[in-house]
Order: sequence, then C-alpha cells, then structure tokens
Amino acid sequence: MAELTKQGIGRVLAKQGILIAFVVFMIGFALANPRFIAVDNISGVIRSSAILGVMALGVTFVVIGGNLDLSVGSMMSFSTIVVLDLHDKIGPTLAIPAMFGLTLGLGAFIGFLVGYLKLNSLIVTLGMLSAIHGLTLTWSGGQNMDIADKSGTWFSVFGQGNIAGVPVPILIFAGLAIVLSLILSKTPFGRKVYAVGGNGKAATFSGIPRARIVFLTYLISSFCVACAGLLQASRSLGSQNTVGQGLELEVLAAVILGGASLLGGSGTIFKTVIGVLILGFIQNGLLLMGLAFYVQYVVTWVIIILAVWLDIAAKRGRLLSQIA
Amino acid sequence: MKTTLTAVLVASTALVGTAMAESHGGKMTIGITQNNVGVDSYQTTYEKAFIAATEANDMVEAVVLDAGGDVARQIAQMEDLIQQEVDAIIIWPTNGEAVIPAVRKAHNAGIPVIVTNSNIAEQGFDFVASFSGPDNITQGSRSAEIMCDKFKDMGIENEARVVQISGQPGYTTAIERQKGFDDRLPEVCPNVTLVETQPGDWNREKSQQVMEAFLVKYDDIDGVYSGDDNMGVGALNAAKAAGREGIIFVGATNFAVGYEAMAAGEYWGSIYQSPVDDAEAALKTAIDVLNGEEVPFLNYFDTPKITQDNMGDYTKPVF
Repeated sequence: MAELTKQGIGRVLAKQGILIAFVVFMIGFALANPRFIAVDNISGVIRSSAILGVMALGVTFVVIGGNLDLSVGSMMSFSTIVVLDLHDKIGPTLAIPAMFGLTLGLGAFIGFLVGYLKLNSLIVTLGMLSAIHGLTLTWSGGQNMDIADKSGTWFSVFGQGNIAGVPVPILIFAGLAIVLSLILSKTPFGRKVYAVGGNGKAATFSGIPRARIVFLTYLISSFCVACAGLLQASRSLGSQNTVGQGLELEVLAAVILGGASLLGGSGTIFKTVIGVLILGFIQNGLLLMGLAFYVQYVVTWVIIILAVWLDIAAKRGRLLSQIA
Repeated sequence: MKTTLTAVLVASTALVGTAMAESHGGKMTIGITQNNVGVDSYQTTYEKAFIAATEANDMVEAVVLDAGGDVARQIAQMEDLIQQEVDAIIIWPTNGEAVIPAVRKAHNAGIPVIVTNSNIAEQGFDFVASFSGPDNITQGSRSAEIMCDKFKDMGIENEARVVQISGQPGYTTAIERQKGFDDRLPEVCPNVTLVETQPGDWNREKSQQVMEAFLVKYDDIDGVYSGDDNMGVGALNAAKAAGREGIIFVGATNFAVGYEAMAAGEYWGSIYQSPVDDAEAALKTAIDVLNGEEVPFLNYFDTPKITQDNMGDYTKPVF
C-alpha cells in the first residue's frame, strides 16, 4: 500500500517537473530577498507577465497544431498602435472592435497561407514579422502614438484598473487561460488540434479538416495578440512602434519552457502559464537581487536550461540520460 | 519572369545613372545613411527635417538612405555611396565599431565622412571629417545638475537616494549619458546616493517593470534619472500606479510625453534636444566641410536644460 502511494507521488512528480522547477526557483529567490514574495511584488510580476502570457496562450494552440508563429511580436505592436490611434479619432468604444477586426484579419491571412496553401509556417510568419512591422510604421508614420487626454478616458481600465483588489490584466489573463484551456482539453476542436499537430497525415486520413484546424489556431493566436495589444495600450496609454519587438521569442521560450513540443502534438495551457510565470519571476527576482544586467542575461539562460532539464529528468525518473 | 526581372534591373540602373548625371552639375551631392528611421519619432522627425533642409538649399542634392538598424545593410549603403561618387557622406552609425572599415574606405576614396548623432569608436576618428551631434556626456552631467538643484530646493541634498534607468546596453548614447550622470552627481551633490542602475533599453514598458522592481526593493527613493523621457515616463507610470509620491523624475531627450508630464507637474526636468537642430547641424557641417571651412572635430549643437520652471521658453517636442 505504502509502495503504491510512493509510486503515485512519483508519477505525479514526473508529470509536473516544470511545476517543481517553478517552486524551487521561487524558494531560491525568496531566500535571496524576502521582498520577492511580498503580495504587491507577486501581483506586480503577474500583471507585467499578463501581456506576454496572453500572447503565449494563443501561440500554444499554434505550436500544438505543429506550426510556429513568429509574427506575434510585431502584430502586437500593430494592435497597440492602431487602437491608440483610433482611440482619439473614433473613440474607445469603436476603436477596440476595429482593432480586433484588423488584427483578426492579419491572423486569418496567416492562417490561410499556412493552413489552406500549406506554406511553411516559419517562412510565412517570419515574413509577416517584418511585413506587419512595415504596416505599423506606415499606419503611424513612424511617430510615437499617445492618447491626448490620458486622465479623462475609461480606456485605461484594461491595463490599470482593479476589480476587488485584483489588477484587471491578471483577470483577463486568468479568464482567457481558463476558457482556452477548456477549449483545448474538453472540446472536439481541441482534440483535433492535438491530432493535426501529432500526425497531420493520419489526421487527414481520419477525416479531420487539417487546413481549417490550422487556420483556426492562427485566428485564436491573433485574437490573443489583440487582447495583449489592448492591455499594452491601456497600460501605458502611449507607445513606440517597436513595443512588441522581440516578444515572439520570449513567447516561444515560455511555451517551450512549459513543455510544448516544437514538433507539435503536445503541450497544455496550464504548463504554458507556468512557463510564462517562470520567465516573469526570473526577470523580477534577478532585478531584486540587484545583479548587473549582463549577469542577468547569462543567469536567465542558465535558469531556463535548468528548468527544461528538471522537467525532462522528472519525466524519465533520473537526472542523466540512460544512453549518454 | 526572368525577362521582367532583367527589364526592371536595367530600368532601375538607368534611373540611378540619370540621377547621378544630374547631380554633378556644380551642385554638392551629399549621401546620408541613417540608423533606423521609423523605429522612434526622433529619427522620423530627423529624416523629415533633413530632407526639408536639403530641399531648401539649391546647392545641395541629397541621397537619403536608411539602414533599418542593420549593420551589414549600412556597410553596403556606404559602398553604394562611394560607388556613386557622392561629394560627402553623413552616417548615423548603427554600430560604432562595425562601420569603421566602411568609413575608412570612403575616407580613402577621398570622400569626407560626417558622423551624425552618435559618434563611432575612437579608433575610427582618423577617417572622420567631423562629428555633428549632441554632447551626451554633457547631457548626463546637466541631468545630474538639474536633479541636484531640485534636491537643494527641497532641502534633501544630504540624504536623497537616486535610482537610474539607463538606455540600451552597448549603445554609445546610453553609455555616455550614464557616465556624465555618474561622474557629475557626486561633484554637485556629494551626499546623494545613487543606489542602483539598471537598463530600460529605451523602452517604456521595460522601464516601467524595472521601476516596479525598484519600488518593491527600496522604500525610500527620492529621484529617478532615466536615459530618455520615454523611459522616464514608464518609470513615472510605475510610481503613480504604486501610489509613491514626491519622487523627482529627470530624463534626457525631452519627448512630447515628458513635456506633458512636466506641464502636469509630475515630471521635473529633462534635456531639450531637437531632432530638427540635429539634422540641420549635420547638413551644415557637411556643407562647411565641402566648402573647405574650418570645422571643429567634435561639432556639438547645444542641448539646454528644461525644467518645470523654464519650460515656457520651449515649444512642445513634436515626437
């Protein structure tokens, strides 16, 4: 009986290697600086991570479906600039749906190229990364975009508001995570995403419309990007054209850190959330330790590798590979 | 397909050829390769002002190029300009080290090179006719003076604690402003402590995160120096969100957002640096060099202090 419980625990641990890594780092940082676990710090970090996090939720769908999305960073810049510009021109009530429409349009275009035309997702989204950047610059004329009346707009509620003491970005992040997690794990569509990413040919032969599923993963991704752009714009009420630059790699790092396979077919929303939080807390923890930034670059990388290793080690039940 | 491509190539080469022929009718042809137009409003405004200034001058023909932040592309553009035999080249370096061989090549081809905005590394100075731009070390010193004067007004010059948010690591402007600030602050306010410096990468959101961490870490922050106003406003947003009042914010490169925050009484001061002055100074330096006039090697344009007290003397920046 005792033997069985031990095995049970072992199995749980093996499944949640990344969670263990997360707890280990949290304890380590907390020992280094007790303020790390202060409530306002934790809520601050999650709020900051929410923007990256929301984008990572969408990319999780794309990655599980067996594709990549490198365009999310520049697409987020686009959404942010567009909603800020339209805010002063047509008012926030119209600006928000207009921005969502345009961003979903970009997502649909990528989805069409990758899903229906079966083009390589790396090439398509790498191209879109720079094309959308150009689109953003064309829209703004290269100028920073700022809302004129910063104190008089309700638009700031998404990025700066609180409901029952919880920052709104955290609520949006959590809400989206729950909904998308249910879609991915409980609906036929979710299972089809895994099937298409796990083995596209087999999925097609079993009658799953591969093209449509891939198309929808990009649509979900662009919806998440639009949410992230809304949070970003509302948080600072002004923006540079390059606000999302480089985020595509951080997003991908979070998704992979969460254990999704780049080859498709595996990963969960919950683990992506943990991946996002690990990245956010590493950044914050290192800042609180007061390390010089060049040390931070190295340490961040070391921690990511450590986390991936702990995850794999827990899965195979030993630290080193059997076939070394 | 192939034929079309060839046709396009021929056509565009012909166009370039005509442009070159025209430009050598006694006029000066000045080529410029910029760092990354469109990445921020400063560079966009700079480009517009530069083009306007060349169009206003009948004696000047300009070839305006943009490297898009890419060192390799900038080196290729330098070579193109050398091939086109322009009379002078203005370069806004994407990287102070990597562009030196291309600058040397232009110099050896007898084309004077004017560096604009941020200088190249010292080992390349022999190949440069003149540097035109802001003096970033002085800017850093002036920011330290602005902050120190304000502390003296408030009577906290003996206990104040300051944090610094610097620009992109490795970027000359960031390094020089930080150096100016770090060196000058202890001279004017010896008892003020600079408790920590972290980079904000010229990015407002990143600076907001850095400031949030500072606020958690230090209960007592009296002043924040940021390498530019864009980052300074990010830090200001963090302080406002955390309900921490009475912090003195000083920046550099006064942006419209910084100017507005100053008008609202939330942001104390900055350094007024106009991209229009920057562009016009670069063009004038190039023309002076070509006319054989004496030009100082480091040809700085003035970037004065701006605070809530004297901001009425300055118009709101357009970027």
